[in-house]
Parts: sequence; structure tokens; C-alpha cells
Amino acid sequence: MIRHILQLIWNKKRSNTLLFLEIFFSFIILFAVFTIVTRYMRMYQSPLGFQTENIWIVHMNFNDLTDTSAVNEMKVRLKDELLSYPQIQAASYGGEATPMGGSVWATSHDQNGFQLKTNIIFGDHDYLETLDLELVRGRWFNESDADARYMPIVITEKFYEETFKGKNLTDSIYIITEESNIVGVVKNFKYRGDFATEDNVAFHYKNENHIDLSRLILRIAPGTKSGFEEEVNQVVASITKKNDFTIEHIEATRSRLAKMIWIPIIAFLSICGFLVINVSMGLFGVLWHSISKRRNEIGLRRTLGASQGEITSQFVSEVTFVSLAGITLGFVFALQFPLLKVFPIEAINYYLAMALSAGIILLLVLLCSFYPSWQASKIHPATALHEE
Amino acid sequence: MIQLKEVSKVYQTKTIETTALNNISIQVSSGEFLSIMGPSGCGKSTLLNIMGMIDEPSSGKVTISGQSISNYHSKALARFRNQKLGFIFQSFHLINELSVIDNVELPLIYRKTSARERRKMAAEALEQVGLKNRMKHFPGQLSGGQKQRVAIARAIVGKPGIILADEPTGNLDSVMGAEIMDILLKLNKELGTTIVMVTHDETMAQKTHRLIRLFDGSQVQ
Repeated sequence: MIRHILQLIWNKKRSNTLLFLEIFFSFIILFAVFTIVTRYMRMYQSPLGFQTENIWIVHMNFNDLTDTSAVNEMKVRLKDELLSYPQIQAASYGGEATPMGGSVWATSHDQNGFQLKTNIIFGDHDYLETLDLELVRGRWFNESDADARYMPIVITEKFYEETFKGKNLTDSIYIITEESNIVGVVKNFKYRGDFATEDNVAFHYKNENHIDLSRLILRIAPGTKSGFEEEVNQVVASITKKNDFTIEHIEATRSRLAKMIWIPIIAFLSICGFLVINVSMGLFGVLWHSISKRRNEIGLRRTLGASQGEITSQFVSEVTFVSLAGITLGFVFALQFPLLKVFPIEAINYYLAMALSAGIILLLVLLCSFYPSWQASKIHPATALHEE
Repeated sequence: MIQLKEVSKVYQTKTIETTALNNISIQVSSGEFLSIMGPSGCGKSTLLNIMGMIDEPSSGKVTISGQSISNYHSKALARFRNQKLGFIFQSFHLINELSVIDNVELPLIYRKTSARERRKMAAEALEQVGLKNRMKHFPGQLSGGQKQRVAIARAIVGKPGIILADEPTGNLDSVMGAEIMDILLKLNKELGTTIVMVTHDETMAQKTHRLIRLFDGSQVQ
């Protein structure tokens, strides 16, 4: 029967071309959309690696201050003063590249002939506790690291797995901007937002009074009233004697950044939904037309011994085989993207998009072809044969 | 072989009731060649459809090869038709997208017959009707007479005991019609196939063993 159906499809290739092309182009469009969506969804699924809820960042600017020692002393005093409030659970100074902040300090270095891009984050010894980072190996910085001969750094687990796994970390020195000693590994630090890639991140230690650390990160106790921000504002203003600082709630920034990605994703998925509806209607139309043109053939087949089930399965199979041919061509086209690395997207995203597109199209084909095929099987042979 | 007992067929719409067959009783013996004649609309094709189990009588009983088919469900009827009956139609009913041999194979598709066996049986059937050299052709490349010979090959490929022919020469000229009639007579004589043929052609009907005539749904001869 399969051979018979394939032969019929081949002999009717001209009339099947429309359906074949419809399926092929639908696959390509779905593949494109699903590649983008799966890429973002997979990014979204991987954890940030730090806390954003109740985290505030005080953005300050000390560039106009020339007395470094006065700045250092003022920074320590500010941190101590704020920590005296029970509403503040932890505080840490960090560099300009802050979580959700949009600033990136990246460096490239040679690693066994490969250029490794690393994002550098500056933080003091309280950074881990304040942002609730998960340490999976080694240790976080302590104040004695300020006098270390080699730059003590903490890296993310992905960076460790891909570059340093199996290597002796404690006694080795690696060149990451400068001679560095990896002292610890944290689980993750997706600091550019939920929809960001997991970049290689290396934390560099700087003493809290270092002038480069101009961002004060605060972990606020849950349930703190919103009016507390005004108190923080007053403390910062009175100690720094400046009013050009801002207080950022990074949970709000995180939502805003996510929204910027969710909107196009929803738009893409809406296009997909519209396409799926159109393809369904197209399939329905093609099948109804085909069946109305083939009533005589259906009557003949029933007369010659085809059961209703055989008629249904023949029509469903015909559409499914043509669709599979369209999907196969789509696969050949889609496979070029991961093979030729057309875009800097992980290959798994392409494969998932291919599977998803093929699955949805096949499901659609089966759903849309079943009803008209079932209706075809109910055609009365005597009536159909008499119609010609 | 075929027994129709007090068979009636009434077509009913909301406003009108049309009696296509009225209390018909016919018995066709094994190996018999029976022809049915009558004016257009007298119920000949309806009678043939009921014999071929592609239509149901409104009342009466149909027995084929000793089996009463009134209780058969749709799938069993399809199997029975496939195994026991061969059909020939006035307008051939060939599938234009299939080659001659694929058209002939069609009844075997619905049996558990291997592709190789199907091809062999179809080739034999085509040889019987003298069309073995046209196996790869498509219906559109054949004359009317050749198309009807393909239809005959399709009817006999499954070696059915009964062939039901609905005006098999109706669309052919006299020479082609005579050729087709010769093939049917040969099948009946040499293979002992029971044939019931609806025809308008008195000459053709006279060549068969028995002739019955219908008028307004009733048997008049």
C-alpha cells in the first residue's frame, strides 16, 4: 500500500507541488522563529546565579574628587553607616559593570592558541554574600588578597568547565588580563540579564576602599518599607556630600530588560500562530478540493474492496508523505546553519527548532487531513460512481 | 450463485418517493451469462449495484455464493466484494494518474498480496485481454476499447467468480464493442465466470445465456 501511495504521489507530482512548497516554506519560517525562541528560552532557563530581589545599587561617581585617601575613608564610612541599619543585610562595593547595568568590561587573551573572551567584574570581599552567589569550588576573596603577588580571581563554573577543568588551579598562574591565580569558582553569573548568554566571567578582587569601586550594592531585608529608600538617600548624600548619585532596584531593571526580549518573542510567536492557522486552512482547502475532484476514484476504490479505514489512511498518508518530503527539504536547508555556523548560535538551538517545527507541522497535517479523509471514506460508492 | 428474493429499492426524499426496483426475484446460476435490458431509468444499474453490494435493497434478500449479505457490516462487505466480485463500468473508471498495470493491480492492493505477486497477476490479466504491450502506458494514451480491456483485466485480476458489467460496450463503437463482448464470452466459456451484464444493445444481449427485461423497476421478462 505504501508503494502504491508513493507511486500515486509521484505520478501526481505537479498537483502535489503546491502542498510540498507550502510545507517547505512553513517549515523554514517556523524554523527561523523557533531558533530565535528556543535560543532565548534556553538562556532564560539558565539561572542568573545571584539574587536580584531586594538588591539596590547606589551608583556614585568619584571622578571629580582628587583626594583619593578622603574618598577611600568616605567609602568605608558610608558602608559602615548603612550596615548599621537593620534593614540592610549586606553591602559590597563593585565596579561599573554591575548586575543588569548594561556596562561590560571584556578582555581577550590567548589560551593555548585560542582567543578567549572574558568579562571582568570587580568586587570586594563582601560581593559574594551581598549578591548571594553560589560558590562551588575554592573560596571567595578576603582582605589579604589585596597583597597577593598574583591577581586572585574567581571564575564561573562554565568558564572553569570549558577552559580549566582537570588543571591544577591552586598552584597555577594564568594570564587573564594579568598574571592571575584562580582561587574559586562560582556557579553562574549571568549579570547582563535573564536573556543573556552565559559568558566567561572572571571576578577581580579590589579592596572596598579602592576608588574604582564606585557602586555600592545593598541587600535589603525582605519586607522593608519603600520609604527606607529615602533614608538611604539621605545617608549617601550626607556622607558623600554629593547629589549626583542614583539608587537602582535591580529587580525592576531585570524586569525591564526581560520585557524588551519578551515583546519580540511574543510578536514572533504570534506570527507563528498566524502562520499555523493559515497552513491549517490551506491544508484543509487543498484536501477538500482534492477529495471533491477524486470522488469517482474513492467510489471505485470502495467498490473494488477498500474499507473506510483504508480510504481514510490513504488520504492521510498521501498528505503526510508529501509533507514529509517538504520537511525533509527544509531539514537539508536548516542543517546548513549549524554545519556552516552561519550565526553565533549554539547548534542545539537549531536542532531543537528543527524538531519543534517538524513536530508541529506533522501534527497539523495529521489533524487537518484526518477529517476530510474520514469524510471521503464515507462517500457512498454507488453514488460516487454514478456521478461521472 | 446470485439470488435476489423479492428485492425492492425505494429512494425517498422529503417530498417524493421513487421506486427504482419493485419486488424483483432473480436467480443467476454459477457459470451463467445473464444480460439485463430495459429503457433508461428502469432500474438496471440499481439492480446491478445491489448485486454488487455497493447499494442496499430497501427490502428483500440478496444471497451471493450461498451467503446472505444482509448482516454484513461495511468492512466485511468490502472484503467480500474484493474477493468474490469483479466490476466493469460503462465509463471504465480508470485512475488516470496510474499506469495500466497499476490500475489492474488495484483490487489486489486491498488483499494481502505481495508487490511481486500483484505485478505477476496483473501482467497475466493484461495478457488475457491482449494488452500486455501497454502495461506502462497511462489511460490517457489508450483508445476507448483499450481502456475497457484494462477495466476487464482489473475485474478478472483477483479471479472472482462473478463479474458485474454495467453497459461495458455503451461507450464504444460497434467494432470495439464486439471485441469486448468476445472477451467477456471467452471469460465465461473458458473460465466459467458468472457474468451479469446490463446492456442497451439487443445484439449483445442475444449472445448471452439468458436475458431479463426491466420496466419501471419491475421484471417484465
